[in-house]
Amino acid sequence: MASVALSEAEKVYIVHGVQEDLRVDGRGCEDYRCVQVETDVVSNTSGSARVRLGHTDILVGVKAEMGTPKLEKPNEGYLEFFVDCSASATPEFEGRGGDDLGTEIANTLYRIFNNKSSIDLKSLCISPREHCWALYVDVLLLECGGNLFDAISIAVKAALFNTRIPRVRVLEDEEGLKDIELSDDPYDCIQLSVENVPCIVTLCKIGYRHVVDATLQEEACSLASLLVSVTSKGVVTCVRKVGKGSLDPESIFEMLETGKRVGKVLHTSLQSILHKEESLGPKRQKVGFLG
Amino acid sequence: MPGDHRRIRGPEESQPPQLYAAGESEAPAPRDPARLRPVYARAGLLSQAKGSAYLEAGGTKVLCAVSGPRPAEGGERGGGPAGAGGEAPAALRGRLLCDFRRAPFSGRRRRAPPGGGEERELALALQEALEPAVRLGRYPRAQLEVSALLLEDGGSALAAALTAAALALADAGVEMYDLVVGCGLSRAPEPAPAWLLDPTLLEEERAAAGLTVALMPVLNQVAGLLGSGEGGPTESWAEAVRLGLEGCQRLYPVLQQCLVRAARRRGAAEPL
Repeated sequence: MASVALSEAEKVYIVHGVQEDLRVDGRGCEDYRCVQVETDVVSNTSGSARVRLGHTDILVGVKAEMGTPKLEKPNEGYLEFFVDCSASATPEFEGRGGDDLGTEIANTLYRIFNNKSSIDLKSLCISPREHCWALYVDVLLLECGGNLFDAISIAVKAALFNTRIPRVRVLEDEEGLKDIELSDDPYDCIQLSVENVPCIVTLCKIGYRHVVDATLQEEACSLASLLVSVTSKGVVTCVRKVGKGSLDPESIFEMLETGKRVGKVLHTSLQSILHKEESLGPKRQKVGFLG
Repeated sequence: MPGDHRRIRGPEESQPPQLYAAGESEAPAPRDPARLRPVYARAGLLSQAKGSAYLEAGGTKVLCAVSGPRPAEGGERGGGPAGAGGEAPAALRGRLLCDFRRAPFSGRRRRAPPGGGEERELALALQEALEPAVRLGRYPRAQLEVSALLLEDGGSALAAALTAAALALADAGVEMYDLVVGCGLSRAPEPAPAWLLDPTLLEEERAAAGLTVALMPVLNQVAGLLGSGEGGPTESWAEAVRLGLEGCQRLYPVLQQCLVRAARRRGAAEPL
Protein backbone atom coordinates (compact mmCIF):
# COMPACT_ATOMS: atom_id res chain seq x y z
CA MET A 1 0.00 0.00 0.00
CA ALA A 2 1.23 3.55 -0.44
CA SER A 3 3.22 4.74 2.52
CA VAL A 4 2.86 8.10 4.16
CA ALA A 5 5.34 9.68 6.54
CA LEU A 6 3.73 10.46 9.88
CA SER A 7 5.46 11.83 12.92
CA GLU A 8 4.83 10.33 16.37
CA ALA A 9 2.88 13.43 17.42
CA GLU A 10 0.52 13.08 14.45
CA LYS A 11 -0.04 9.42 15.25
CA VAL A 12 -0.86 10.21 18.87
CA TYR A 13 -3.24 12.95 17.70
CA ILE A 14 -5.09 10.55 15.41
CA VAL A 15 -5.25 7.75 18.00
CA HIS A 16 -6.55 10.01 20.78
CA GLY A 17 -9.11 11.54 18.44
CA VAL A 18 -10.45 8.14 17.43
CA GLN A 19 -10.93 7.12 21.09
CA GLU A 20 -13.34 10.09 21.34
CA ASP A 21 -15.14 9.11 18.10
CA LEU A 22 -13.70 12.13 16.31
CA ARG A 23 -11.51 11.70 13.26
CA VAL A 24 -9.19 14.21 11.64
CA ASP A 25 -11.67 15.20 8.94
CA GLY A 26 -14.57 15.43 11.40
CA ARG A 27 -16.22 12.07 10.59
CA GLY A 28 -17.43 9.61 13.19
CA CYS A 29 -15.95 6.12 13.44
CA GLU A 30 -18.63 4.58 11.23
CA ASP A 31 -18.91 7.24 8.52
CA TYR A 32 -17.76 6.84 4.95
CA ARG A 33 -16.21 9.63 2.92
CA CYS A 34 -18.22 10.99 0.01
CA VAL A 35 -18.48 8.25 -2.64
CA GLN A 36 -18.98 9.09 -6.30
CA VAL A 37 -20.06 6.25 -8.58
CA GLU A 38 -20.53 6.42 -12.31
CA THR A 39 -21.25 3.51 -14.64
CA ASP A 40 -20.81 3.03 -18.37
CA VAL A 41 -17.69 5.16 -18.65
CA VAL A 42 -15.76 2.97 -21.10
CA SER A 43 -17.52 2.14 -24.34
CA ASN A 44 -15.61 -0.99 -25.41
CA THR A 45 -16.63 -3.05 -22.42
CA SER A 46 -19.77 -5.00 -21.61
CA GLY A 47 -20.00 -2.99 -18.40
CA SER A 48 -17.84 -0.53 -16.54
CA ALA A 49 -17.85 1.66 -13.48
CA ARG A 50 -15.71 4.31 -11.87
CA VAL A 51 -15.70 4.97 -8.15
CA ARG A 52 -14.10 7.84 -6.29
CA LEU A 53 -13.87 7.51 -2.52
CA GLY A 54 -11.98 10.52 -1.16
CA HIS A 55 -8.63 10.33 -2.94
CA THR A 56 -9.03 6.71 -4.01
CA ASP A 57 -9.94 6.29 -7.67
CA ILE A 58 -10.90 2.91 -9.15
CA LEU A 59 -11.95 2.01 -12.70
CA VAL A 60 -13.47 -1.43 -13.42
CA GLY A 61 -14.24 -2.85 -16.83
CA VAL A 62 -16.15 -6.11 -17.42
CA LYS A 63 -15.81 -7.96 -20.68
CA ALA A 64 -18.01 -10.92 -21.49
CA GLU A 65 -16.42 -13.53 -23.73
CA MET A 66 -17.42 -17.02 -24.72
CA GLY A 67 -15.38 -19.84 -23.29
CA THR A 68 -15.53 -23.48 -22.23
CA PRO A 69 -16.97 -24.27 -18.82
CA LYS A 70 -14.66 -25.67 -16.15
CA LEU A 71 -14.60 -29.47 -15.88
CA GLU A 72 -15.95 -29.64 -12.32
CA LYS A 73 -18.82 -27.24 -13.06
CA PRO A 74 -20.10 -27.97 -16.57
CA ASN A 75 -23.36 -26.01 -16.20
CA GLU A 76 -21.92 -22.73 -15.05
CA GLY A 77 -20.02 -19.79 -16.41
CA TYR A 78 -17.22 -18.18 -14.42
CA LEU A 79 -15.66 -14.88 -13.40
CA GLU A 80 -11.99 -14.01 -13.69
CA PHE A 81 -10.52 -11.10 -11.77
CA PHE A 82 -7.43 -9.14 -12.64
CA VAL A 83 -6.18 -6.16 -10.67
CA ASP A 84 -3.64 -3.75 -12.03
CA CYS A 85 -1.98 -1.26 -9.71
CA SER A 86 -0.77 1.35 -12.13
CA ALA A 87 2.26 3.51 -11.45
CA SER A 88 0.07 6.59 -11.41
CA ALA A 89 -1.50 5.43 -8.16
CA THR A 90 1.68 5.89 -6.17
CA PRO A 91 5.37 5.85 -7.22
CA GLU A 92 5.91 2.62 -5.26
CA PHE A 93 3.92 0.75 -7.89
CA GLU A 94 6.35 1.47 -10.69
CA GLY A 95 7.45 -1.57 -12.69
CA ARG A 96 6.64 -4.81 -10.85
CA GLY A 97 6.09 -3.09 -7.50
CA GLY A 98 2.33 -3.20 -7.61
CA ASP A 99 2.12 -6.88 -8.54
CA ASP A 100 1.99 -8.24 -5.00
CA LEU A 101 -0.79 -5.90 -3.99
CA GLY A 102 -2.62 -6.67 -7.24
CA THR A 103 -2.52 -10.43 -6.62
CA GLU A 104 -3.63 -9.96 -3.02
CA ILE A 105 -6.66 -7.93 -4.09
CA ALA A 106 -7.51 -10.36 -6.90
CA ASN A 107 -7.33 -13.31 -4.50
CA THR A 108 -9.63 -11.52 -2.07
CA LEU A 109 -12.12 -10.87 -4.87
CA TYR A 110 -12.06 -14.56 -5.83
CA ARG A 111 -12.71 -15.41 -2.21
CA ILE A 112 -15.70 -13.17 -1.77
CA PHE A 113 -17.34 -14.50 -4.94
CA ASN A 114 -16.51 -18.09 -4.05
CA ASN A 115 -20.01 -19.18 -3.10
CA LYS A 116 -23.23 -20.16 -4.80
CA SER A 117 -25.37 -17.20 -3.93
CA SER A 118 -23.27 -14.14 -4.87
CA ILE A 119 -23.85 -14.32 -8.56
CA ASP A 120 -26.03 -16.68 -10.57
CA LEU A 121 -23.41 -18.51 -12.61
CA LYS A 122 -25.97 -20.89 -14.12
CA SER A 123 -27.45 -18.01 -16.11
CA LEU A 124 -24.06 -17.64 -17.79
CA CYS A 125 -24.21 -21.10 -19.32
CA ILE A 126 -24.96 -21.31 -23.06
CA SER A 127 -24.77 -25.03 -23.62
CA PRO A 128 -23.58 -27.40 -20.89
CA ARG A 129 -20.01 -28.67 -21.24
CA GLU A 130 -19.42 -26.74 -24.43
CA HIS A 131 -20.03 -23.02 -24.20
CA CYS A 132 -20.47 -20.56 -21.43
CA TRP A 133 -19.93 -16.89 -20.74
CA ALA A 134 -16.69 -15.95 -19.01
CA LEU A 135 -16.80 -12.53 -17.38
CA TYR A 136 -13.37 -10.93 -17.18
CA VAL A 137 -13.47 -8.28 -14.49
CA ASP A 138 -10.46 -5.98 -14.77
CA VAL A 139 -9.79 -3.52 -12.00
CA LEU A 140 -7.53 -0.54 -12.49
CA LEU A 141 -6.20 1.39 -9.53
CA LEU A 142 -5.81 4.94 -10.70
CA GLU A 143 -5.14 6.67 -7.42
CA CYS A 144 -4.49 5.28 -3.96
CA GLY A 145 -5.95 7.25 -1.06
CA GLY A 146 -6.61 4.57 1.54
CA ASN A 147 -9.34 1.96 1.87
CA LEU A 148 -8.72 0.19 -1.43
CA PHE A 149 -10.74 -2.97 -0.79
CA ASP A 150 -14.00 -1.16 -0.09
CA ALA A 151 -13.75 1.07 -3.15
CA ILE A 152 -12.85 -1.87 -5.40
CA SER A 153 -15.77 -3.97 -4.21
CA ILE A 154 -18.20 -1.08 -4.75
CA ALA A 155 -16.81 -0.55 -8.25
CA VAL A 156 -17.07 -4.26 -9.09
CA LYS A 157 -20.69 -4.35 -7.95
CA ALA A 158 -21.55 -1.26 -9.99
CA ALA A 159 -19.77 -2.62 -13.07
CA LEU A 160 -21.59 -5.97 -12.82
CA PHE A 161 -24.88 -4.09 -12.48
CA ASN A 162 -24.04 -2.22 -15.66
CA THR A 163 -22.95 -5.33 -17.60
CA ARG A 164 -25.07 -6.22 -20.61
CA ILE A 165 -24.41 -9.66 -22.08
CA PRO A 166 -25.72 -10.20 -25.62
CA ARG A 167 -28.30 -12.93 -26.04
CA VAL A 168 -27.10 -15.92 -28.05
CA ARG A 169 -28.88 -18.97 -29.35
CA VAL A 170 -27.43 -22.35 -30.15
CA LEU A 171 -28.76 -23.74 -33.40
CA GLU A 172 -28.32 -27.38 -34.25
CA ASP A 173 -28.50 -28.38 -37.88
CA GLU A 174 -29.19 -31.83 -39.42
CA GLU A 175 -25.68 -33.22 -39.04
CA GLY A 176 -25.67 -32.37 -35.33
CA LEU A 177 -23.23 -29.49 -35.78
CA LYS A 178 -23.90 -26.63 -33.38
CA ASP A 179 -23.77 -23.03 -34.41
CA ILE A 180 -23.96 -19.96 -32.24
CA GLU A 181 -26.14 -17.12 -33.37
CA LEU A 182 -25.96 -13.65 -31.94
CA SER A 183 -29.20 -11.75 -31.85
CA ASP A 184 -29.50 -8.92 -34.42
CA ASP A 185 -30.74 -6.30 -32.04
CA PRO A 186 -27.74 -4.77 -30.18
CA TYR A 187 -29.94 -3.90 -27.20
CA ASP A 188 -31.24 -7.44 -26.73
CA CYS A 189 -29.16 -8.33 -23.69
CA ILE A 190 -29.34 -10.19 -20.46
CA GLN A 191 -28.65 -8.29 -17.30
CA LEU A 192 -27.10 -9.86 -14.22
CA SER A 193 -28.83 -9.69 -10.89
CA VAL A 194 -26.49 -8.08 -8.38
CA GLU A 195 -28.83 -8.40 -5.38
CA ASN A 196 -26.47 -10.74 -3.54
CA VAL A 197 -23.12 -9.39 -4.70
CA PRO A 198 -21.18 -8.62 -1.53
CA CYS A 199 -19.28 -5.46 -0.65
CA ILE A 200 -16.16 -5.37 1.47
CA VAL A 201 -16.05 -3.30 4.65
CA THR A 202 -12.56 -2.81 6.11
CA LEU A 203 -12.46 -2.06 9.82
CA CYS A 204 -9.11 -0.75 11.06
CA LYS A 205 -8.28 -1.17 14.71
CA ILE A 206 -6.87 2.08 16.11
CA GLY A 207 -6.23 2.03 19.85
CA TYR A 208 -9.30 0.47 21.47
CA ARG A 209 -11.80 1.38 18.78
CA HIS A 210 -12.21 0.51 15.13
CA VAL A 211 -12.88 2.83 12.21
CA VAL A 212 -14.55 2.31 8.86
CA ASP A 213 -13.07 3.77 5.67
CA ALA A 214 -9.63 4.73 6.91
CA THR A 215 -7.52 7.29 5.08
CA LEU A 216 -3.83 6.59 4.41
CA GLN A 217 -2.82 8.40 7.60
CA GLU A 218 -5.24 6.38 9.70
CA GLU A 219 -4.06 3.15 8.11
CA ALA A 220 -0.51 4.04 9.14
CA CYS A 221 -1.67 4.26 12.79
CA SER A 222 -3.48 0.95 12.71
CA LEU A 223 -1.66 -2.33 13.25
CA ALA A 224 -4.44 -4.73 12.36
CA SER A 225 -7.64 -4.59 10.35
CA LEU A 226 -10.52 -6.92 9.72
CA LEU A 227 -11.92 -7.24 6.23
CA VAL A 228 -15.55 -8.33 6.20
CA SER A 229 -17.49 -9.04 3.04
CA VAL A 230 -21.24 -8.43 3.53
CA THR A 231 -24.21 -8.82 1.21
CA SER A 232 -27.25 -6.57 1.29
CA LYS A 233 -29.11 -9.09 3.46
CA GLY A 234 -26.43 -9.04 6.14
CA VAL A 235 -24.90 -12.39 5.19
CA VAL A 236 -21.13 -12.47 5.63
CA THR A 237 -19.24 -14.26 2.86
CA CYS A 238 -15.62 -13.62 3.75
CA VAL A 239 -13.64 -12.69 6.85
CA ARG A 240 -9.94 -11.91 6.82
CA LYS A 241 -7.47 -10.33 9.20
CA VAL A 242 -4.98 -8.00 7.52
CA GLY A 243 -1.88 -6.37 8.96
CA LYS A 244 1.05 -7.02 11.24
CA GLY A 245 -0.71 -6.91 14.58
CA SER A 246 -3.06 -9.21 16.42
CA LEU A 247 -6.69 -8.74 17.42
CA ASP A 248 -8.50 -9.44 20.63
CA PRO A 249 -11.32 -12.01 20.22
CA GLU A 250 -13.86 -9.58 21.71
CA SER A 251 -12.83 -6.89 19.19
CA ILE A 252 -13.38 -9.36 16.37
CA PHE A 253 -16.96 -9.98 17.47
CA GLU A 254 -17.62 -6.23 17.77
CA MET A 255 -16.05 -5.56 14.38
CA LEU A 256 -18.20 -8.24 12.74
CA GLU A 257 -21.34 -6.59 14.09
CA THR A 258 -20.21 -3.12 12.98
CA GLY A 259 -19.25 -4.46 9.57
CA LYS A 260 -22.69 -5.98 9.10
CA ARG A 261 -24.44 -2.79 10.17
CA VAL A 262 -22.33 -0.48 8.01
CA GLY A 263 -22.46 -2.91 5.09
CA LYS A 264 -26.26 -2.97 5.03
CA VAL A 265 -26.43 0.83 4.94
CA LEU A 266 -23.79 0.93 2.20
CA HIS A 267 -25.77 -1.54 0.10
CA THR A 268 -29.06 0.33 0.35
CA SER A 269 -27.51 3.63 -0.70
CA LEU A 270 -25.54 1.98 -3.53
CA GLN A 271 -28.61 0.17 -4.87
CA SER A 272 -30.71 3.33 -4.81
CA ILE A 273 -28.04 5.36 -6.61
CA LEU A 274 -27.51 2.69 -9.27
CA HIS A 275 -31.22 2.39 -9.95
CA LYS A 276 -31.56 6.17 -10.10
CA GLU A 277 -28.70 6.42 -12.60
CA GLU A 278 -30.20 3.69 -14.75
CA SER A 279 -33.61 5.34 -14.74
CA LEU A 280 -32.08 8.50 -16.23
CA GLY A 281 -31.68 6.47 -19.40
CA PRO A 282 -29.12 6.71 -22.23
CA LYS A 283 -29.64 10.47 -22.60
CA ARG A 284 -28.17 11.29 -19.19
CA GLN A 285 -25.32 13.72 -18.85
CA LYS A 286 -22.06 11.80 -18.49
CA VAL A 287 -19.53 13.33 -16.14
CA GLY A 288 -16.59 11.22 -17.24
CA PHE A 289 -13.05 11.91 -16.16
CA LEU A 290 -13.09 15.68 -16.03
CA GLY A 291 -15.94 16.20 -13.58
CA MET B 1 15.87 -42.97 -28.61
CA PRO B 2 14.67 -43.91 -25.15
CA GLY B 3 12.30 -41.29 -23.73
CA ASP B 4 12.68 -38.53 -26.31
CA HIS B 5 10.58 -35.92 -24.56
CA ARG B 6 11.06 -33.27 -27.18
CA ARG B 7 9.42 -35.05 -30.08
CA ILE B 8 7.00 -37.33 -28.31
CA ARG B 9 4.87 -35.16 -26.10
CA GLY B 10 2.17 -36.35 -23.77
CA PRO B 11 -1.32 -34.83 -23.92
CA GLU B 12 -1.36 -31.20 -22.81
CA GLU B 13 -4.23 -31.62 -20.46
CA SER B 14 -4.89 -34.63 -18.35
CA GLN B 15 -7.58 -35.39 -15.80
CA PRO B 16 -7.84 -37.85 -12.98
CA PRO B 17 -10.30 -40.72 -13.63
CA GLN B 18 -12.41 -39.79 -10.55
CA LEU B 19 -13.99 -36.92 -12.50
CA TYR B 20 -15.76 -39.41 -14.70
CA ALA B 21 -16.89 -41.65 -11.85
CA ALA B 22 -20.63 -42.20 -11.85
CA GLY B 23 -22.62 -41.59 -8.68
CA GLU B 24 -21.77 -39.73 -5.49
CA SER B 25 -19.19 -41.05 -3.10
CA GLU B 26 -20.28 -41.71 0.47
CA ALA B 27 -21.08 -38.81 2.80
CA PRO B 28 -18.68 -38.15 5.68
CA ALA B 29 -19.55 -40.02 8.87
CA PRO B 30 -21.35 -38.02 11.59
CA ARG B 31 -19.06 -37.00 14.41
CA ASP B 32 -18.69 -34.80 17.45
CA PRO B 33 -18.41 -31.23 16.07
CA ALA B 34 -15.70 -30.25 18.53
CA ARG B 35 -13.38 -33.21 18.13
CA LEU B 36 -9.73 -32.59 17.28
CA ARG B 37 -7.82 -35.27 15.43
CA PRO B 38 -4.81 -36.65 17.31
CA VAL B 39 -1.71 -34.63 16.43
CA TYR B 40 1.88 -35.81 16.07
CA ALA B 41 4.44 -33.01 16.17
CA ARG B 42 8.19 -33.14 16.11
CA ALA B 43 10.65 -30.25 16.02
CA GLY B 44 14.31 -30.21 15.07
CA LEU B 45 14.43 -32.91 12.44
CA LEU B 46 16.19 -31.28 9.47
CA SER B 47 19.94 -30.94 9.70
CA GLN B 48 20.26 -28.20 7.07
CA ALA B 49 17.72 -25.79 8.45
CA LYS B 50 18.14 -23.53 11.45
CA GLY B 51 14.79 -24.71 12.77
CA SER B 52 12.30 -27.22 11.47
CA ALA B 53 9.08 -28.95 12.44
CA TYR B 54 6.89 -31.75 11.14
CA LEU B 55 3.21 -31.90 12.00
CA GLU B 56 0.75 -34.64 11.25
CA ALA B 57 -2.96 -34.35 12.03
CA GLY B 58 -5.17 -37.08 10.63
CA GLY B 59 -4.23 -37.24 6.97
CA THR B 60 -2.57 -33.81 6.79
CA LYS B 61 1.22 -33.86 6.80
CA VAL B 62 3.22 -30.62 6.80
CA LEU B 63 6.95 -30.02 6.96
CA CYS B 64 8.25 -26.56 7.78
CA ALA B 65 11.78 -25.16 7.76
CA VAL B 66 13.14 -21.81 8.95
CA SER B 67 16.40 -20.23 7.88
CA GLY B 68 18.01 -16.97 8.83
CA PRO B 69 18.41 -14.34 10.02
CA ARG B 70 20.10 -13.28 6.80
CA PRO B 71 20.88 -9.77 5.57
CA ALA B 72 17.77 -8.43 3.95
CA GLU B 73 17.65 -7.72 0.25
CA GLY B 74 16.41 -4.40 -0.97
CA GLY B 75 17.58 -0.97 0.08
CA GLU B 76 17.03 0.27 3.57
CA ARG B 77 14.96 3.31 4.11
CA GLY B 78 16.03 5.91 6.67
CA GLY B 79 15.63 5.46 10.43
CA GLY B 80 12.98 6.89 12.70
CA PRO B 81 12.51 7.11 16.45
CA ALA B 82 13.53 3.91 18.20
CA GLY B 83 10.79 1.75 19.63
CA ALA B 84 10.56 0.65 23.25
CA GLY B 85 12.91 -1.97 24.64
CA GLY B 86 15.87 -1.15 22.40
CA GLU B 87 14.17 -2.40 19.26
CA ALA B 88 15.06 -1.08 15.85
CA PRO B 89 13.02 1.82 14.46
CA ALA B 90 10.10 0.85 12.27
CA ALA B 91 11.88 1.22 8.95
CA LEU B 92 14.78 -1.02 9.98
CA ARG B 93 12.71 -3.87 11.40
CA GLY B 94 13.38 -7.38 10.18
CA ARG B 95 11.22 -9.08 7.60
CA LEU B 96 9.49 -12.40 7.57
CA LEU B 97 9.30 -14.09 4.17
CA CYS B 98 6.89 -16.98 4.00
CA ASP B 99 6.51 -19.54 1.30
CA PHE B 100 3.79 -22.15 1.08
CA ARG B 101 4.08 -25.04 -1.32
CA ARG B 102 1.97 -28.05 -2.06
CA ALA B 103 3.61 -31.26 -3.21
CA PRO B 104 2.20 -32.17 -6.64
CA PHE B 105 0.71 -35.39 -5.22
CA SER B 106 -0.80 -33.82 -2.11
CA GLY B 107 -4.38 -33.40 -3.34
CA ARG B 108 -6.82 -35.35 -5.45
CA ARG B 109 -5.60 -33.77 -8.69
CA ARG B 110 -1.96 -33.38 -9.60
CA ARG B 111 -0.83 -29.79 -9.29
CA ALA B 112 2.54 -28.77 -10.73
CA PRO B 113 4.68 -26.72 -8.31
CA PRO B 114 4.17 -23.11 -9.46
CA GLY B 115 0.75 -23.31 -7.93
CA GLY B 116 -0.21 -19.75 -8.82
CA GLY B 117 -2.60 -17.56 -6.88
CA GLU B 118 -3.69 -19.98 -4.20
CA GLU B 119 -0.20 -20.67 -2.85
CA ARG B 120 0.63 -16.94 -2.82
CA GLU B 121 -2.56 -16.24 -0.92
CA LEU B 122 -1.79 -18.91 1.68
CA ALA B 123 1.82 -17.68 1.98
CA LEU B 124 0.48 -14.19 2.66
CA ALA B 125 -1.93 -15.62 5.24
CA LEU B 126 1.00 -17.41 6.92
CA GLN B 127 2.98 -14.17 7.04
CA GLU B 128 0.09 -12.16 8.47
CA ALA B 129 -0.50 -14.74 11.17
CA LEU B 130 3.16 -15.17 12.20
CA GLU B 131 4.18 -11.50 12.22
CA PRO B 132 2.38 -10.55 15.46
CA ALA B 133 4.22 -13.32 17.29
CA VAL B 134 7.80 -12.73 16.12
CA ARG B 135 9.89 -9.94 17.65
CA LEU B 136 11.07 -8.61 14.31
CA GLY B 137 12.41 -5.46 15.97
CA ARG B 138 15.26 -7.59 17.36
CA TYR B 139 16.47 -8.51 13.89
CA PRO B 140 17.14 -5.17 12.21
CA ARG B 141 17.90 -5.26 8.49
CA ALA B 142 17.58 -9.04 8.48
CA GLN B 143 15.10 -11.46 7.00
CA LEU B 144 13.79 -14.75 8.27
CA GLU B 145 12.62 -17.27 5.70
CA VAL B 146 9.87 -19.69 6.56
CA SER B 147 8.93 -22.32 4.03
CA ALA B 148 6.07 -24.72 4.53
CA LEU B 149 5.69 -27.83 2.39
CA LEU B 150 2.38 -29.66 2.38
CA LEU B 151 3.07 -33.33 1.76
CA GLU B 152 -0.50 -34.57 1.99
CA ASP B 153 -3.73 -32.62 2.28
CA GLY B 154 -6.16 -34.28 4.65
CA GLY B 155 -8.15 -31.18 5.58
CA SER B 156 -7.24 -27.95 7.48
CA ALA B 157 -3.94 -27.64 5.62
CA LEU B 158 -3.41 -23.94 6.35
CA ALA B 159 -3.99 -24.42 10.08
CA ALA B 160 -1.45 -27.26 10.20
CA ALA B 161 1.07 -25.19 8.23
CA LEU B 162 0.64 -22.26 10.67
CA THR B 163 1.25 -24.46 13.69
CA ALA B 164 4.25 -26.16 12.08
CA ALA B 165 5.74 -22.79 11.08
CA ALA B 166 5.42 -21.46 14.64
CA LEU B 167 7.07 -24.62 16.02
CA ALA B 168 9.89 -24.31 13.49
CA LEU B 169 10.46 -20.66 14.43
CA ALA B 170 10.60 -21.60 18.11
CA ASP B 171 12.98 -24.47 17.30
CA ALA B 172 15.24 -22.04 15.41
CA GLY B 173 15.55 -19.92 18.53
CA VAL B 174 13.87 -16.88 16.96
CA GLU B 175 12.63 -14.46 19.62
CA MET B 176 8.86 -14.66 19.85
CA TYR B 177 6.15 -13.26 22.09
CA ASP B 178 4.17 -16.48 21.99
CA LEU B 179 3.55 -19.57 19.87
CA VAL B 180 0.89 -19.42 17.16
CA VAL B 181 -1.59 -22.29 17.05
CA GLY B 182 -3.84 -22.75 14.04
CA CYS B 183 -7.22 -24.46 13.78
CA GLY B 184 -9.45 -25.15 10.81
CA LEU B 185 -13.25 -25.20 10.72
CA SER B 186 -15.84 -25.90 8.10
CA ARG B 187 -19.59 -25.51 7.88
CA ALA B 188 -21.61 -28.40 6.56
CA PRO B 189 -24.08 -27.64 3.72
CA GLU B 190 -27.75 -26.96 4.22
CA PRO B 191 -29.61 -29.82 5.98
CA ALA B 192 -27.58 -29.37 9.17
CA PRO B 193 -25.47 -26.19 8.97
CA ALA B 194 -23.22 -26.77 11.97
CA TRP B 195 -19.58 -25.73 12.27
CA LEU B 196 -17.17 -28.65 12.49
CA LEU B 197 -13.76 -28.32 14.09
CA ASP B 198 -10.70 -29.73 12.30
CA PRO B 199 -12.47 -31.03 9.17
CA THR B 200 -11.19 -33.92 7.07
CA LEU B 201 -10.67 -33.49 3.32
CA LEU B 202 -14.09 -35.00 2.55
CA GLU B 203 -15.84 -32.60 4.95
CA GLU B 204 -13.91 -29.64 3.55
CA GLU B 205 -14.81 -30.45 -0.03
CA ARG B 206 -18.50 -30.63 0.73
CA ALA B 207 -18.45 -27.61 2.99
CA ALA B 208 -20.49 -24.48 2.38
CA ALA B 209 -17.90 -22.34 4.19
CA GLY B 210 -14.42 -22.72 5.64
CA LEU B 211 -12.49 -20.80 8.28
CA THR B 212 -8.93 -20.91 9.66
CA VAL B 213 -8.15 -19.26 12.99
CA ALA B 214 -4.69 -18.65 14.44
CA LEU B 215 -4.38 -17.90 18.14
CA MET B 216 -1.54 -16.90 20.46
CA PRO B 217 -2.72 -18.98 23.46
CA VAL B 218 -0.97 -17.31 26.38
CA LEU B 219 -1.68 -13.73 25.26
CA ASN B 220 -5.17 -14.74 24.06
CA GLN B 221 -4.83 -12.68 20.91
CA VAL B 222 -6.03 -13.73 17.47
CA ALA B 223 -3.03 -13.61 15.16
CA GLY B 224 -4.74 -14.68 11.95
CA LEU B 225 -8.19 -15.18 10.53
CA LEU B 226 -9.16 -16.28 7.04
CA GLY B 227 -12.56 -17.54 6.07
CA SER B 228 -14.92 -17.58 3.13
CA GLY B 229 -18.04 -19.25 1.83
CA GLU B 230 -21.77 -19.11 2.37
CA GLY B 231 -21.32 -18.63 6.09
CA GLY B 232 -24.51 -17.02 7.10
CA PRO B 233 -25.19 -14.32 9.67
CA THR B 234 -22.45 -12.77 11.80
CA GLU B 235 -23.56 -14.78 14.86
CA SER B 236 -22.69 -17.96 13.00
CA TRP B 237 -19.19 -16.68 12.16
CA ALA B 238 -18.69 -15.48 15.75
CA GLU B 239 -19.65 -18.92 17.04
CA ALA B 240 -17.19 -20.51 14.61
CA VAL B 241 -14.37 -18.22 15.79
CA ARG B 242 -15.12 -19.15 19.43
CA LEU B 243 -15.06 -22.86 18.60
CA GLY B 244 -11.78 -22.41 16.75
CA LEU B 245 -10.14 -20.51 19.61
CA GLU B 246 -11.16 -23.22 22.05
CA GLY B 247 -9.66 -25.84 19.73
CA CYS B 248 -6.38 -23.88 19.62
CA GLN B 249 -6.21 -23.75 23.42
CA ARG B 250 -6.67 -27.52 23.60
CA LEU B 251 -3.86 -28.09 21.12
CA TYR B 252 -1.31 -25.94 22.97
CA PRO B 253 -0.07 -28.49 25.59
CA VAL B 254 0.87 -30.97 22.83
CA LEU B 255 3.07 -28.35 21.16
CA GLN B 256 4.70 -27.38 24.46
CA GLN B 257 5.66 -31.01 25.06
CA CYS B 258 7.03 -31.31 21.54
CA LEU B 259 9.33 -28.31 22.03
CA VAL B 260 10.51 -29.57 25.43
CA ARG B 261 11.37 -32.96 23.91
CA ALA B 262 13.25 -31.30 21.03
CA ALA B 263 15.25 -29.16 23.47
CA ARG B 264 16.14 -32.25 25.52
CA ARG B 265 17.26 -34.08 22.39
CA ARG B 266 19.44 -31.16 21.39
CA GLY B 267 20.86 -30.89 24.91
CA ALA B 268 21.69 -34.61 24.96
CA ALA B 269 23.43 -34.44 21.57
CA GLU B 270 25.59 -31.38 22.41
CA PRO B 271 28.46 -32.92 24.44
CA LEU B 272 29.80 -34.90 21.42
